[in-house]
Amino acid sequence: MKRFIQATLVLLSSCLLILESGCVLLPENNMIEEITPIIFWSVQEAEDGKITISTLVPPLIKEKKRVLNLKVSLINEGNKGFNLNYHNELKAGQIRLLLVDEAYAKRGLTRLINTVLTDPNISQRLYLVVTKGDFNEFLAKHLDETDNIDYYIYRMFKHYEKKKQGEITVVNLHQFMKMLYSQVSDPQLPVFRAAGDQFLYEGTAFFDQDTMVAEIRGKDDQINQLLYRDRFVRYLVLPELSVTLGHIRAHTRKKLTPDLSSLSIEIDVKGRINELDSLARIEDNYQFAALSQKIERYLEENVISLLSQMQKLQIDPLQIGALTAKPFSRPITRDTWDRHWSTMKINVKVRLHLEPLTKVK
Amino acid sequence: MTAISLEALKQRLALMEDAEIIDRETTNGLRLTFIYLETLIDQERLNESILEPVVRSFQSSVEKSLTTVKMNRLSNLEQALQYLMMGSVLVHDSSSARWHAIMLPNSLTRSIETSETETIMFGPKDSFSEQLEQNILLIRRRLPLTALKTERFSVGSLTQTTVVLMYIDGLINPEFVTIAKKKLSSIDFDIFLDSSHIAAFMEDHYHSIFPQYLQTDRPDSCAYALGIGKLVILVNNTPFALIAPITLFHLFQSPEDYINRWLVASFLRPLRYLSFLLSITLIPLYVALTTHHYQMLPLQILYVFIESRSKLPLSPFWEAFFILITLEIMKEASLRMPTKTSQNLGVIGGIVIGQAAVEAGFASKVLIVLAGISAISNFLVPNYLVTKSSLLLQFMFLILSSYLGVPGILLGLVGMIAHLNGLTSLKQPYLAPVSPFYWRDWVDLFVRGPLHAMRIRPEALRPLIKYRISRRRK
Repeated sequence: MKRFIQATLVLLSSCLLILESGCVLLPENNMIEEITPIIFWSVQEAEDGKITISTLVPPLIKEKKRVLNLKVSLINEGNKGFNLNYHNELKAGQIRLLLVDEAYAKRGLTRLINTVLTDPNISQRLYLVVTKGDFNEFLAKHLDETDNIDYYIYRMFKHYEKKKQGEITVVNLHQFMKMLYSQVSDPQLPVFRAAGDQFLYEGTAFFDQDTMVAEIRGKDDQINQLLYRDRFVRYLVLPELSVTLGHIRAHTRKKLTPDLSSLSIEIDVKGRINELDSLARIEDNYQFAALSQKIERYLEENVISLLSQMQKLQIDPLQIGALTAKPFSRPITRDTWDRHWSTMKINVKVRLHLEPLTKVK
Repeated sequence: MTAISLEALKQRLALMEDAEIIDRETTNGLRLTFIYLETLIDQERLNESILEPVVRSFQSSVEKSLTTVKMNRLSNLEQALQYLMMGSVLVHDSSSARWHAIMLPNSLTRSIETSETETIMFGPKDSFSEQLEQNILLIRRRLPLTALKTERFSVGSLTQTTVVLMYIDGLINPEFVTIAKKKLSSIDFDIFLDSSHIAAFMEDHYHSIFPQYLQTDRPDSCAYALGIGKLVILVNNTPFALIAPITLFHLFQSPEDYINRWLVASFLRPLRYLSFLLSITLIPLYVALTTHHYQMLPLQILYVFIESRSKLPLSPFWEAFFILITLEIMKEASLRMPTKTSQNLGVIGGIVIGQAAVEAGFASKVLIVLAGISAISNFLVPNYLVTKSSLLLQFMFLILSSYLGVPGILLGLVGMIAHLNGLTSLKQPYLAPVSPFYWRDWVDLFVRGPLHAMRIRPEALRPLIKYRISRRRK
C-alpha cells in the first residue's frame, strides 16, 4: 500500500510539474465536433491598405457551404472576425493552403509570412500560391454540398509535391521562408488563375526577396522546373520544333569562376521523344543527330534567355548565389552578389541523351 | 495425539451417512473391522482385492493375508482420519489390536480432453484434468527423468489440498526451489479450490493486475518450462498448473510458436505485442485525438471523424466509456450464458449495439470500428488473465487521454513500464531479459528465432546446465 501511495504521489507531482512548467497540456478546447478546422486562407488586397481575407466553411462536412469574407488590417483580426461571424470556432491547426492575390504579392509577403510562421498552431507544410482573377467568385461556384473544392485543391498540391511529379511548381511555407531569409537566393511560387468555376495553373512567379516581380509561363516555366534542383518534367513541349520530349530528367552542373565574372552551366538532359509533328525521320541516324542538335541549341538559347531575365531583375530563384558559399569563409552579401550577378557572363552547354525507342539505323 | 479406538472413530463419523463400519471374520477366526466412506472409495476393488481374499485367508494376521496391497500402519487418530478422508479403508485387526490404512480412492475423473483455454491448431492436444496423479503422469511421460522431482505439500485447513512442486533437479536454479518451498509452507488459509488461489498467496505483488505465475492446462507447456529451468506447481482438483518464474514476455508466448515455422512465429509474436498495445491504447488515442489534437489527424481522417461525430450528444470520452462498458457487459454475458442462447447475444450485440447505436446517434461509426478492432486484438494475447486485466489498463488510459491527451497516454505508458519494472515473479525481475539486459535471450523474445539458434537456456533464469545441446564445439 505504501508503494502505491508513493507511486501515486510521483505520478501526480510529475503531472503538476508538466502543467506548471508552462508546457500547458490543455490550453484550449479542441473537441472536433465543436470546432471548424479550416484548410485555407485566401488573402486579397483591398482599398486603403487593408486586406480581404476569405475562407470556406464548413471545410469538410457534407453540408451547405459558405464563403466567409472580411476586410481587415491584420490577418488575425480576420481570424477573430470569422469566429464572431460563425457558430463554430475556426481553428487554424489544419490550415494547408495560403492563397495570396497577385496584387498583394506584388506589395510584399513578409508580414503575412511572419504572422503565419509565428503561429504555433500552423504547420510549415503549408502550400503558398499566388492567385489571379477573382478567387472568391471561383469559391462561390463551388458551394455544393458534395463539392469540397478546398480539399481537392489541397490534394492536387500534395500530389504534385510527392515524388516531384513534374507538372507544376509546388512550394511550401518552409521552402519559401528558407529562400526568403537566405542572403543571396529568392523564392518562387506557383501562379494560378481563377476563371469562373475553373482554377488554372499559369506558371511560376519570381520574387525579389518578398515581392513578386515577374511571372514565367509555358516553356520558360518548364525549363525553370528542370533547372531548379535537377527536377523531373513529365513533358517538355517545344512547339517551335514540333517536338514533345517526355520523362525528362536534368542533371545540372553549375560552376562560378572565382572572380564571379562568369557562370558555366552544363545540363545533361535525359528523356525520350514522345511526339514528333514533323517530317524528320528519326530512325535515320543523321536526321536523329540533327534533331538532337537542334533541340540542344534551342534549349541552350532558352536557358540563357531565362537566366538573363533573372539577371535583369537581379533575382536568383535558382540559388546560383549559394555556390559562392565556401567553408570557413564569410558569406557573400546581397549587394555584392547582385552586382556580380547582373553582369555575369553565362555559358550554357546542353547535352541531350535521348532514349532510342525505335530501332535506330 | 489421540490413540485410535473404534469408539473414537465412530464418534467422529457420526451423522455421516456414507460412513460404513463392517465386521468380518476370517476362516481361521480372525476378527477384522473395516471402516470407510463409501463415496470416496472404489467399492468394487474393496470387494475383489480386500474383503474376499481376507475372508478366505488362513493367515494369522491381516498383513499376511493382504500381500498385494500397500498397507500403512496407523499410530494415531488424526492420521487415521486423514487417511480415511483421502479415500482409504481403515482395517482393525482385533488379535494384534493394530490399525492399518489401505488406499482405495475412487478414481472418478473425466477423460483427457483438449485444452479449451489455450487452443492450438497443431501440436499435442491433451490437457490436464482435475486429478493430480493423472496430471503428473502427463508430464512424466514427456520428461522420463529421475531428476524430475515432485515434492508434495498440503495447503488449506479445510480443503487439505495437495500441491506438488515439480522441477528438474540439477538443472533448475536451486534458489527458485528454496523460495517456492518457503512460500508454499508459509501459506495459511482455509480453502484452496484452484491454482489461482495458491498463486495469490505466493505472488510477490498481489496488488498488481499483471499475473506473476503463468496458469496453464497444457502439459507440453509445463514440460517445456521445466526443461528450460522453471518450476511447475500442480494443484489437486484443478486442471490448471502454475509455472514460475515468468516474465511479461512469457504471457505473450504460445506453445504454437514452437510448432510454426520460425519466420511465421516471428511475425505472429510482434503482432501479439502490437495488438496488446492497440487493445489498451486505440480507443484512448481516439479520445485524445478527437478531444485535444485535431491537428495531428491527416485531413482525410479528420474528415471522417468530424463527419461521424458531428451529430453525437456525448463527448468522445463518455461515448468511448459507454461503448467499452457495453462491450464488457456483452463479453461477460457471453461467458455466463447457456450455450444455446449465446446466438441471441451475437444478434443483440451485432445489430442492436453496433448498428442501432450508430443510427440512433449514440455512438460514432468510427468508434464502433475501433472498439471492434480493440476487442478482437485483445484476444490475440494467449494469456486469458492478461486479456482480462488489459480492460482496466484501457480505462486508465481512457481517463488519462481524456484529461491530458496524447501526453496522458505517454504518461500512462511510462507509469505502466515503471510498474512492470518493479514487479518480480518468484523474486526474479519481471521485465528480464530487457531489464536487466540479457542479449542472448533475445533470440526468443520479440521474435521466435530458429530452434537451432536457441542453443542455451534463458540466461535470465540462471539454470545450472546452460547448454541445451550435448555436443558443442570446444
